[in-house]
Amino acid sequence: MTSRAALKRILSGREAGTALGLLVLCVGLWIATPYFATTANLANVAEQSAVVGVIAIGMTFVILTGGIDLSVGSLVALAGVVIGGSLRSGLPVTVAVSLGLLTGAAAGMLNGLMITLGKLPPFIATLGMMSVARGGALMLSDGRPISGFPDSLRAVATGNLLGVPAPVVLMLVLYAVAYVILTRTVAGRYVYAIGGNEEATKLAGVRVRFHKTVVYAISGLSAAVCATLLVARLNSAQPIAGMGYELDAIAAVVIGGTSLLGGTGSVIGTLIGALIMSVLRNGLNLLGVSSYLQQVAIGAVIIVAVLIDMALRRRVQRPSR
Amino acid sequence: MALVPTLRRLLPLLLVGLLVTACNRGGEASAKPSVALVVKTLNNQFFIDMEAGAKAAADSLGIELLVQAPEREIDVERQMQIVENLIQRKVGVILLVPNGSREIVPAVVKANAAKIPVVAVDTRVDAATLSAAGATVASFIGSDNEDGGRLAGAFLVERLNGRATVAVLEGVPGHETADARLRGFRAALARASGMQIVASQPANMERDLAFNVTQNILQAHPGITALFACNDVMALGALEAIFAAGKGAQVSVVGFDAQDDARKAIAEKRMAATIAQNPREMGRLAVLTAARLMKGETVPAEQPVAISLIK
Repeated sequence: MTSRAALKRILSGREAGTALGLLVLCVGLWIATPYFATTANLANVAEQSAVVGVIAIGMTFVILTGGIDLSVGSLVALAGVVIGGSLRSGLPVTVAVSLGLLTGAAAGMLNGLMITLGKLPPFIATLGMMSVARGGALMLSDGRPISGFPDSLRAVATGNLLGVPAPVVLMLVLYAVAYVILTRTVAGRYVYAIGGNEEATKLAGVRVRFHKTVVYAISGLSAAVCATLLVARLNSAQPIAGMGYELDAIAAVVIGGTSLLGGTGSVIGTLIGALIMSVLRNGLNLLGVSSYLQQVAIGAVIIVAVLIDMALRRRVQRPSR
Repeated sequence: MALVPTLRRLLPLLLVGLLVTACNRGGEASAKPSVALVVKTLNNQFFIDMEAGAKAAADSLGIELLVQAPEREIDVERQMQIVENLIQRKVGVILLVPNGSREIVPAVVKANAAKIPVVAVDTRVDAATLSAAGATVASFIGSDNEDGGRLAGAFLVERLNGRATVAVLEGVPGHETADARLRGFRAALARASGMQIVASQPANMERDLAFNVTQNILQAHPGITALFACNDVMALGALEAIFAAGKGAQVSVVGFDAQDDARKAIAEKRMAATIAQNPREMGRLAVLTAARLMKGETVPAEQPVAISLIK
């Protein structure tokens, strides 16, 4: 497919409604405040969206299979503490980060095994892991933040590529990889197939248990990537980091038009969903809206975004993928 | 495609938007100076009082005050995002109650780079981390929390004649304010050999968590005679658990912050004492300091706000 054809497909696809929502939001803020549409602020918003945006990639995979992963917020803390602890004990940055990523992927795989081999509902398995990982993070760190890291790690948050902040570059690369996996590989199509009809997929000879386990490992891994970002940003690994991030990630995925029932959706939608959340929070700060009202506004936007998306989809009457 | 008519309907809106924007920008340039107050959370009366003090001062000085806070007291990342956003908002001064004394430093660095002075209120920004990052805070306005903890400890020693079994509810581990209170409290207790701390657990400055933790402590140590909580929110949660267990007469509870609910509990003889800080005064002094900074005046590096024991 040519890039033009790809662009056309994106514009006519299910992401169009979400993208329109983002556009309306941006135009509204551009009107309401002169501080929004500046290069510095847009870079700032993009950077802020990377934190939840990265977790939402793995969450998209999980939700596409019809599952859910409630453990990612705690895994952010656990992987972060592993990275921080490794650095404190004198390991080089590359090794420390690798250990963190490995921890996230392994915990995610464990989630997958509990779900596929243990036949636990994803909600229960990952709810358990949420508590286990949080406790683990608190135990490993003695409940205290670990801070003060080398500049090479800090560069993950403070560096930039041609003026684009490093976290944004990282996020976009990961979204591109996820997009290719989901739309151009057989394994990616299986993810949709499992969410569409798991039984039929199994009967077609697909190793459903293997693929589902991998999907949860990807979710754990993306939580660990987020942990790396967060540790670099705050120059501190916190055992209480990431609380509530699972809900932000789920919100980004759902705003992005991915069905919680599985089988339909895309990572492009999720990226736009994550951007909507950040732009909204940024805009409310710029406007000086009361912190209480902000929470109401964010909840309302999640509901309205999904309502609009469903209305558009009903009108277009597209058969589900 | 449904998209095209939707876009067409939006077009006039966009045009109106452009027009309004053009007018709006001219107006904003002459707007009054703005100061941001970023607190830990607005689910705590202490910060609501601080906001009230700051608002009153801002109104009398003709300053626009933006008050922002993360939903959770423990959410450092979210607070950092708020500070980043306020830097983009080009406020004159950022008055900051950091959720993490070390973790907030990268945000202070960014504010310094944008030439926006930062004033730490109530909770300090870690001095070592700050100087390592080459960043500066214009002033610190707050109480000596360690002194407050010592006051609370000395009160319990005197009230219980130097002999007690003590439980402690800590704040968020690693947070400077609560840690300083704890240090002071422990130092005061160390002077009396009969004061024994049998349990010391974090309840993250939250009321419901404090309730649960206290219930658990009462299971393990039914004989405690005193409880110190690093803030009133936790002390009030603990109080509920203690009265629910029927041990209200047995345990002397001391909190910190002198919130309205705590003062009421003390008046009703349910709670023993609390340490009064003056969040309203902190808010007022913070805004006055901001006004001086915006005029280019120098301000003292330390501006202490008095504390007292209320029993």
